[in-house]
Amino acid sequence: MKIYLKFDYAQLTKKIVHEKLSELGFKFNIIGFGEFNFLEKVPSDKIEEITRTFSEYGIGIVENQKSVLVQKIKDTIVEMVHTDKPFNIKSSVYIAEKLNLSYPYLSNVFSEVTYTSIENFIIIQKIELAKQLMINTSFNLTEISIQLNYSSVAHLSTQFKHMTGMTPSAFHKIINKRRELSNKNNN
Amino acid sequence: MTADYINICLADDDEDDRLFFTDAFDELRINTKVSTFNDGVELMNYLNNEDSILPNVLFLDLNMPKKNGVECLLEIKKNRKLDDIAIAIYSTSSSEEHIEETFVNGANIYIKKPNDFENLKKILSEVVTMNWQYHTSGLNKENFLMRM
Amino acid sequence: MEHIQLHKSPLFLKIIFIISVAIIFFIGAITFKHITVLKKSSTWIAQSYEVNIELERLLSYVKDAETGQRGYLLSKDKNFLTPYYSSKQRIKKSYKRVAELTSNSRTQQRNLKRLQYLISRRLNFLSKTLYLVEQEVNDEKALAENSTIGKLAMDSIRTEIEGMIVTQKSLLRYRQQDYNSTMNYTPLLIYLTLLITLILITIAFIKMNKDLVLLRNTINTLSVAIEVNKLSEIIGNFGSWQLNLETGKYTFSDNQYRLLGCEPQSFEAGREEYAKFIHPDDKELLDKNTKNILTHNDLHPFTYRIIRKDGEVRYLKGTGEVVTFSSDNKIFIGTTRDITSDIDDKILTEERNRELESNNKELSAFNYIASHDLQEPLRKIETFISRLITKDFNNLSPSGQQYVSNIQKSTNRMRVLIDDLLQFSRTNRTEKNFEETDLNTLLENAKQDLAQTIEDTNAIIKINNLPVLDVIPFQIQQLFINLIGNSLKYHRQGIPPIVEITYAEVISNEEEFLPDTYHNYHKINITDNGIGFEQKYAKNIFVLFNRLHNKNEYKGTGIGLAICKKIVENHKGFIFAKGQTGVGSEFTVYLPVE
Repeated sequence: MKIYLKFDYAQLTKKIVHEKLSELGFKFNIIGFGEFNFLEKVPSDKIEEITRTFSEYGIGIVENQKSVLVQKIKDTIVEMVHTDKPFNIKSSVYIAEKLNLSYPYLSNVFSEVTYTSIENFIIIQKIELAKQLMINTSFNLTEISIQLNYSSVAHLSTQFKHMTGMTPSAFHKIINKRRELSNKNNN
Repeated sequence: MTADYINICLADDDEDDRLFFTDAFDELRINTKVSTFNDGVELMNYLNNEDSILPNVLFLDLNMPKKNGVECLLEIKKNRKLDDIAIAIYSTSSSEEHIEETFVNGANIYIKKPNDFENLKKILSEVVTMNWQYHTSGLNKENFLMRM
Repeated sequence: MEHIQLHKSPLFLKIIFIISVAIIFFIGAITFKHITVLKKSSTWIAQSYEVNIELERLLSYVKDAETGQRGYLLSKDKNFLTPYYSSKQRIKKSYKRVAELTSNSRTQQRNLKRLQYLISRRLNFLSKTLYLVEQEVNDEKALAENSTIGKLAMDSIRTEIEGMIVTQKSLLRYRQQDYNSTMNYTPLLIYLTLLITLILITIAFIKMNKDLVLLRNTINTLSVAIEVNKLSEIIGNFGSWQLNLETGKYTFSDNQYRLLGCEPQSFEAGREEYAKFIHPDDKELLDKNTKNILTHNDLHPFTYRIIRKDGEVRYLKGTGEVVTFSSDNKIFIGTTRDITSDIDDKILTEERNRELESNNKELSAFNYIASHDLQEPLRKIETFISRLITKDFNNLSPSGQQYVSNIQKSTNRMRVLIDDLLQFSRTNRTEKNFEETDLNTLLENAKQDLAQTIEDTNAIIKINNLPVLDVIPFQIQQLFINLIGNSLKYHRQGIPPIVEITYAEVISNEEEFLPDTYHNYHKINITDNGIGFEQKYAKNIFVLFNRLHNKNEYKGTGIGLAICKKIVENHKGFIFAKGQTGVGSEFTVYLPVE
């Protein structure tokens, strides 16, 4: 038997971090997703211990200020894309307001660190969400395009193809065939 | 993490193609370390060696002597230790059935070898960037399918 | 039908014959009976008359006796007594005669007894009177009394006799009546039965006549059939033979002999004789197969070789079955066909097919390898040129720069050609994996594939519901992509393309271009409002590398529609195009309904 999981990375990470830091006996509070404030001075050897503990879970400590900002931008985008509510503000305006910094500046920092643009990252996130919805729900492509604020199915299809090099249906077909194959191998 | 470089492997029996490949990465401003192998057997020996540093992305030519790309792909997908490597098929063929088959068997990326060097650079850059996104932004690797 | 009628006739005739014979017997019996009755009647009449005469005679004898006695009494002359004595004798004789004649009537017998009593009483009185006279007793009173009583007795005798005569007469009348009534209906009966017999015989005659005509016709038909059979055996190159399973006797048709290269009926039909012609290698096969005839009443079709009289080896195919005629008469009927030319043809066709197949395989392998393997070096040329241009373009002389650009253009063109050629040959090569597929899904996929172009051209795609068919999904999707892509590519400047896809199930003979085979087809129509084309090119556009437009006007190699045709042919279907310049074009795909 094979089961498919759907998980909230933010929730998951928050929980792990909370548990581990408490285990190690630190006093801290959570400011936002991916941002913690220690309530006392932390010695450097302790930092190393924290790094080691978290690396097991694929969680890394962002050190420099730019990286921190990029992480914040990413978090904002993920939150924005995953919201169920229809979105009627331009994403650039939303991000700038949310982080209280000018968009050109944010855009610059983001490209510098990630080798990709904020716009591109938004598209990646949206397409990834479209993939999830296609595979794990019974929504058809039209419904997904509405949910993801696309003006038309054609627009979603075009963007999907642009990002992945294949059409949504080709993608779906491959995933289905992979599942069939693994079911066959398991049985 | 930015201090780390991305590990890249290529298995291709064609010398010119290996040259284009390494040249392209040399010209790209991404921090990468590229290793090349002349055939599938050589590649698998490296991957199965305990001391080897496993690549983040592995580029596989399909048509190789001794052990071809699909055989390598199947072997890698069976090995849990190598499960994490993103696999890019790097081939001349553009048969739809062929492409679908490699994806179904676990390939993440299918690249039809481009006929323009600038194009090759662009493709490799996109592939690495996308892989980086999957790596750093908590995306579901199961859904990592890309065709260039 | 005729056969059955003929078969029933004898029974009908037999019944009529039996009935007729019975009727004749019946008539004979009746006639005999009547003649007997007639004879009896005349005897009775004669008898009655004789009885009457005899009775009259009896009375006269009694009278004679009386007369004689009276004469004596008066004259006392003894001579008068002679009739008296003789009459006594005569009365006795006459009485006896009457008794004899009336022996069959009880009434008359009774009457006769009374008469006898009366007569004897009378005679007694007569002799008593005579006695008294002879004794000379002159008792006048006794004499008178005696004669009075005698007279009374005489009267009663007379009455009795008259009564008897009347009785006899009435008896005669009864008999005559009886006889008459019998004689009255006899002729009618005879006449009637004769009439019926006549009718029956007439029916029988008509029937026989009809049967005869039928028989003649049947014989005619049969002889024609025999001729037809003989001729068709010659034309159809087959012969037939029979084996009577009761007698074990073989019969061969004329052509059976000809198949062996012999004159018809030139030797006696038989197993051994026939076996002489069988090819030595096939003798065993023939024995094995014909063994079944006797045990299983069956001969499966099988092929064997013979060596004809002139030495030529021919292939024959034999088969047959048992036919049972009316009464257990089993005959095995076999046919033999000369299939030498069929076998020769088959061998030839097989050879050609093999040749064709291997040619085809070679061609498609060549095509694939050529286009596939040509890609490799071409790609390298292109890549090296692209490197040359980016790195060292500025170091070249102006003419050198021009050459390099020209090389690049040509290699690009070559690449497009090779790609298309490869795609075309792949349509041929790929395994034909048919799957139950919803064409709506394939069309949707095709639309996704063309999403960019659809958006760029503001195209409207109208689709009506398509069926689920057993197809090669990749190929049908490609078909839709190519056809819709074609419509989008050749749209009129400034007019957003409208592509309409409709579906219907049709019967071939109602369709303009399809053969009249009454097969059902799925008809998929793709209509657009694009630039169209002249109808005279409708066939050319499906030919490989055929283009209607200059390559500077529209990009492409002229392979898209050739691929469409190939795909449709892979599905055993048809594709046709209709066009009108400046109005639009219409592509129709027919896929067979299984």
